[in-house]
Amino acid sequence: MQTELNTETIKQMKQRKWKRWNIHLFPIPALVIYGLFIVYPLLAALSYSFFDWKGIKRGAFIGFDNYKDLFTLEPFSSMFWNAFWHNVLYFIVQMVVQNGLAFLLAFIIYQKIRGAEFFKIAYFLPRLLSVIVVGFLWKLIFNPNFGALNVLLGKFGLESLQEAWLGNTKTALMAIILVNCWFGLGFSVLIFLAGFQSIPRELIEAAKLDGANGFKMLTKILLPLMVPSIMIITVLTFIQSFEAFELVYAMQGSQGEPYRSTDTLAVYFYRLAFGGSSGDSTAIGLGSALAVVLFIFISTFTAILLKMMKKKEIEM
Amino acid sequence: MKKTGKIWLFGLFSILLIFASACSKDTGSSEKPEKTDEGTKETVTLSIGSWRTEDTAGYAKVIEAFNKQYPDIKVEFKPSKNTEYNTILNTALQSGEGPDIFHLRPYAPGIALADAGYIEPLDGLEGLDAFPETALAASKGSDGKQYGVPLNMSTTQMFYNKKIFSDLGLEVPKTWDEFIALNEKIKKEGIIPIALGTKEGWLLSAAHGIIGPAHYGGNDFVEKITKGETDFKSAEFVNSIKAMDELKAYFPDNYEGLGMEDIRTLFFTGKAAMFPMGSWEIEVLRSMNPDLELGFFPMPSAVGKDATITAWVDGSFAVNANSKHKEEAKKFLQFLTTKEFGEPFTKEFKMISANPEVKSDDELVNSLSEAVSKISTPYMMVVYFAGGNPTSKATLELELQGMYLGQQTPEGVAGKVQENAETWYKPFQ
Repeated sequence: MQTELNTETIKQMKQRKWKRWNIHLFPIPALVIYGLFIVYPLLAALSYSFFDWKGIKRGAFIGFDNYKDLFTLEPFSSMFWNAFWHNVLYFIVQMVVQNGLAFLLAFIIYQKIRGAEFFKIAYFLPRLLSVIVVGFLWKLIFNPNFGALNVLLGKFGLESLQEAWLGNTKTALMAIILVNCWFGLGFSVLIFLAGFQSIPRELIEAAKLDGANGFKMLTKILLPLMVPSIMIITVLTFIQSFEAFELVYAMQGSQGEPYRSTDTLAVYFYRLAFGGSSGDSTAIGLGSALAVVLFIFISTFTAILLKMMKKKEIEM
Repeated sequence: MKKTGKIWLFGLFSILLIFASACSKDTGSSEKPEKTDEGTKETVTLSIGSWRTEDTAGYAKVIEAFNKQYPDIKVEFKPSKNTEYNTILNTALQSGEGPDIFHLRPYAPGIALADAGYIEPLDGLEGLDAFPETALAASKGSDGKQYGVPLNMSTTQMFYNKKIFSDLGLEVPKTWDEFIALNEKIKKEGIIPIALGTKEGWLLSAAHGIIGPAHYGGNDFVEKITKGETDFKSAEFVNSIKAMDELKAYFPDNYEGLGMEDIRTLFFTGKAAMFPMGSWEIEVLRSMNPDLELGFFPMPSAVGKDATITAWVDGSFAVNANSKHKEEAKKFLQFLTTKEFGEPFTKEFKMISANPEVKSDDELVNSLSEAVSKISTPYMMVVYFAGGNPTSKATLELELQGMYLGQQTPEGVAGKVQENAETWYKPFQ
C-alpha cells in the first residue's frame, strides 16, 4: 500500500516536471521558423558582405572592403547617394501629401458627414490592387502619346503642360511618388480615422463647453490626442519609403530610368544582387553590404522614432 | 500527454533537420543528395534549361527529330522566364544542380560560367568545325577551350516599311548623306522617320550598334579598340555618338517617354517609316500586322566604308559539368551541329542559324543571312564590352539616355564609357 502510493506520487511528480519542461517547447516551432526565414537570411547577408564574389562563386574573405567600395568607389558611391536622396524625397512627399491629405480626409469623415462609409471604402479601394497592376495602370495613364493624362490636358487646351511624364528626369520620380501616395492614401485614412474614433467623446464635449471652436479644437485638443496614430503612420511610412521598390520597378525597370532619376536604394540593391536588366553581372558582395547598411539605417531610425513615440505618449 | 509530447518532439526534429540541410547547402559542402531514381539503364532523361519559353512547341519538334536517331534518350525542354533565367540557372549551378544541358548567354556572362568551372568543355565534339570562328567565340572560355555549340545569330539593322518608301518614291540610301536626306523627306510628308524612344536604355545601345559602325568605321575600328590601339574617346567613336544625337530630329514626339511597345506600334501601324531593331522582331511585327511590307537595309557608311549589318551569336547550348549523363548530353549537342537540326530549326523559329550552310525558306531571313556572311560587323558593346559592373554596355545606355535628356554631351558619353571600360577591360589596362 505504502509503496504503491509512493510510486503513484513519483509518477505524478515526474509528469508535472515533464509538463513544466514541455511548456518551453511550444515557442520552439515559431522560433525555428523565425530563425529560418528571418535570422538566417540576415546573418547570411551579413556574412556574404565580407567576401569577394566572382559572379555567384564566393571568393576570399575581404573584411570591410565591400563597404568601403560602396561608399568610396565610383560609380557605386554616387549611385548610393543619388538613390538615398530619392528615398528621402520619397519619405517627405509621402508624409506631406499622402499623410497630410489622409489626416484631413479622416477628420472630415470623422465629422459624421453623409456617406462617410462610402468615402472610407472609396479611398481604400486602390490599396486592394496589386502594386504591379497599379504600376501598369499608371504607366498607361502617363504614356506621353496616348495616355489619359496628356489627352485630358489636350482637351482642356493645356498642350503646353503635356509632358513625357515618366521619360523626363524632372517629373519621373515625382510621378511615381504621387502614384504611391494615391495607393497608400486609404490606409493612412483608416489609421487616422481609428485614432479619431478612439478619442473619448466626453473630452471633446468638455472642450466644447470650454469654448473650443473648430480650428482650436483641431490644433489644441485633437492633434495632441492623435500623436500615437501620427507616430505609427510616420514609422510605417518611413520603413515603406526607404524600401520603395515595387512601384519603381513596375513603372521604370531596374535601371532607375531615365538617367538614374528614379533610382532608390532597394532598386539599386536589386541591380547589384540580381544583375541589371541589360545583362549586368551580379555583385553579391556589394549587394549584401548595401542590404546590411539599409537594414541598420532603417532599424536605427525606426528605433529612434519609436522611442520618441513612447515619450510623447507618457507626456499625454 | 506523453504521446503528444513525442509528436511535438518529432515535429521539432524534422523542422530542425530541414533547417540543417538548408544550412549545409549554403556552405557549399560537396554532400550530394541521396541517390534519386536514375531509371533503368536503357533510357536516360536529359533536361534542357532555356530562356526561350516561346519556343517550347518548336523544341518539341526538334526533340522528335533527335529521337529518330537516339530513341533511348528522352529529352525534356524546361524553359524559365527570360528575365529570371540567369538567377535560376546560377543558383542551381552553384548548388551543384541544374539541367543537363542549358542555353548559354553569349560572350562575357556565358564565358564567366565556363571560367567558374560549371560547364563541361566540348573540345573534339564532332560537327563543331561547321561553325565560323566568330560564332564559336561566343562560348570560348578564357582557357581557349570550346564550351558551347552556337545556335543562332541575331542581327540588328534598319527595318523599313516598303510601302511608305514606294509611296513617297524613296530609294534605300547608299551613303550617310542620302540617309539624312531621306529622313528629311519623310519628315516633311508628316510621317515619323525613325521609330525610336529613349525611355528604355537597351534600345539606345541597340540603335548605336546599328548606327555607330557607320561612323567609327566598322570592323577596322573594332579590331583596333580590342587591341587597345584606340579607345572610346577617339574622334571616330565620339562621332558615332554625335550621329546618334543628330538623329533625334527624326524621332517621334515625346521620344524620351517612349518604350519598346510604343515604338513597335508606331512602326507596324505605318506611322513611322523606319525601325532600328533586331531580327528577333521579324515574327512579332508580322503577327501584329500581317500586311506590313517589311524590308531592311544595311547602314550606309559615313566614312566611305562598306554598309554594315550588325550581327552576333545570340545563344549557345552547353553541358552542365555536374550532369550525370554527360555522354548523352554531348550526343544531343552534336545533333545540334547537324543540318537535320538546323533546317527545321530555322523553319520553326525564323532565326538565322549560326551554321552558314543552313538556309531558311523565309526570303527576308535568307537575305539577312546572306548579308551577315558578307558585310557583318559585331555588336561591339555586347560582344566585347558586356563586362564590368555596371557593364560598359549599361554605361553607354545610361549616358546616351542622359544625352537625349540634355544632361550629357556626346564627348561626355564617350568619356564615361571609356572610364568604365578602363576599370576592367584588359587591353585598356
